[in-house]
Amino acid sequence: MKHTLRSFFSICLLLSLAFVQAQETTPVKSIKQPTKTEDKTPEAPLPLVDLSPVKTNNDSISSTTERYGVRVGVDLYKLTRALYDKDYKGIEFVGDYRLTKKYYLAAEIGNENKTTADDRVNFTTKGSYLKAGFDYNAYENWLDMENIISIGMRYGFSTFNQELNNYKIYNSNPYFGEVPVIVSGEKFSGLNASWVEVVAGLKVEVLDNIFVGFGLQLKLLVTNKQPENFSNLYIPGFNRTYDGDFGVGFNYTVTYFVPIYKKKIAPKK
Amino acid sequence: MKKTFLLLLFFAFTFSGCEKDDICDANTPTTPRLVIEFYDFDNPSVLKSVTNLKVVGAGMTDGILFNGSMIANGSKISTPLKTNENSTSYSLTLNSGNPNPALVNEDIIKFDYLTKELFVSRACGYKTVFSLDPINPYIHSDGAAVDQKWIKFISVENSNIENENETHIKIFF
Repeated sequence: MKHTLRSFFSICLLLSLAFVQAQETTPVKSIKQPTKTEDKTPEAPLPLVDLSPVKTNNDSISSTTERYGVRVGVDLYKLTRALYDKDYKGIEFVGDYRLTKKYYLAAEIGNENKTTADDRVNFTTKGSYLKAGFDYNAYENWLDMENIISIGMRYGFSTFNQELNNYKIYNSNPYFGEVPVIVSGEKFSGLNASWVEVVAGLKVEVLDNIFVGFGLQLKLLVTNKQPENFSNLYIPGFNRTYDGDFGVGFNYTVTYFVPIYKKKIAPKK
Repeated sequence: MKKTFLLLLFFAFTFSGCEKDDICDANTPTTPRLVIEFYDFDNPSVLKSVTNLKVVGAGMTDGILFNGSMIANGSKISTPLKTNENSTSYSLTLNSGNPNPALVNEDIIKFDYLTKELFVSRACGYKTVFSLDPINPYIHSDGAAVDQKWIKFISVENSNIENENETHIKIFF
């Protein structure tokens, strides 16, 4: 657990550095745009006939378009975790649809199979989840850039089952000695939970239409159907539960943007 | 832009500080002990203190510790039950270690019960609770030396041993 956490956050650090680099390169691309329009402007002086000096407002910024469409992808963190963690198998697909200039409809759907080996309980959680909500892009892009720094909300719902593999009895007076681990194998099925989460995310276009993203989630349980004589210590999509109703999560996504239509933006005066 | 990165990094490292909170709090009620109170046989409503009582579980050599001592003086003791068996036998020796062998008296009580395991928390795991056999909750016999039993009567006050806040057994002597 400790090791996974450590490696997890060193990956976070590495990735965030990668983003910094990705950000630095993009402004160069955008500078090209004005040069294109400058090429056009010398055409105007050619017909010298026009005597009335009508100013045509044909500046560079005026004719930017915004692309609207669907972005679909996968959480690489969940996908690759199975490679180094034999107790975990999971996948999460992510998607969003641009509604307006700033707002995106967003959803995640996933499936997890995780065995948690705590000191006193060892259990396997299997289940699927769906999260839906919106993202608000708070980042003011340069020209035609489409990067996103967003804050959003989701409502998540998960159906799952738990299997208690083994457990220990806690006895603060072990006069007769510690009792060995008790093997159980008891199954608790038909469980479900729902929660709200606040998502802070970042998506950067690294190649044409391909984005890498990073998201942090803070969750609050709303409903939780607990098993009899056990507890939902892990909920697919919500992750580990703590004593309170709070949870945290994280994803690292690669997504592909499918443009559907373009919108021209009126020039700002 | 940079601010957001710093914020994300800050979050990442805050959560990396979340180490295991997997220590079972000592105040959490876990597997309870059997709570025994001693009363005066001639005056059954009055508590009576035992003198130098030593309680040893069957198959054990050391006595059960009461506040760090193997000898109990007072009118109330708590003894652990075996969680992986359905009975626990104790030898209760009054005036243990007394140089006068006539005063030293050993009785044996065997408690029969059923166990049930209840989930407590991630940190504590499960606890065992006990319910004494409704027909024969205990078997009382004399110790190795044939002398009079010092315990005159045993009364089951609470056959469900689920916490240590109540007295489960009253011993009259």
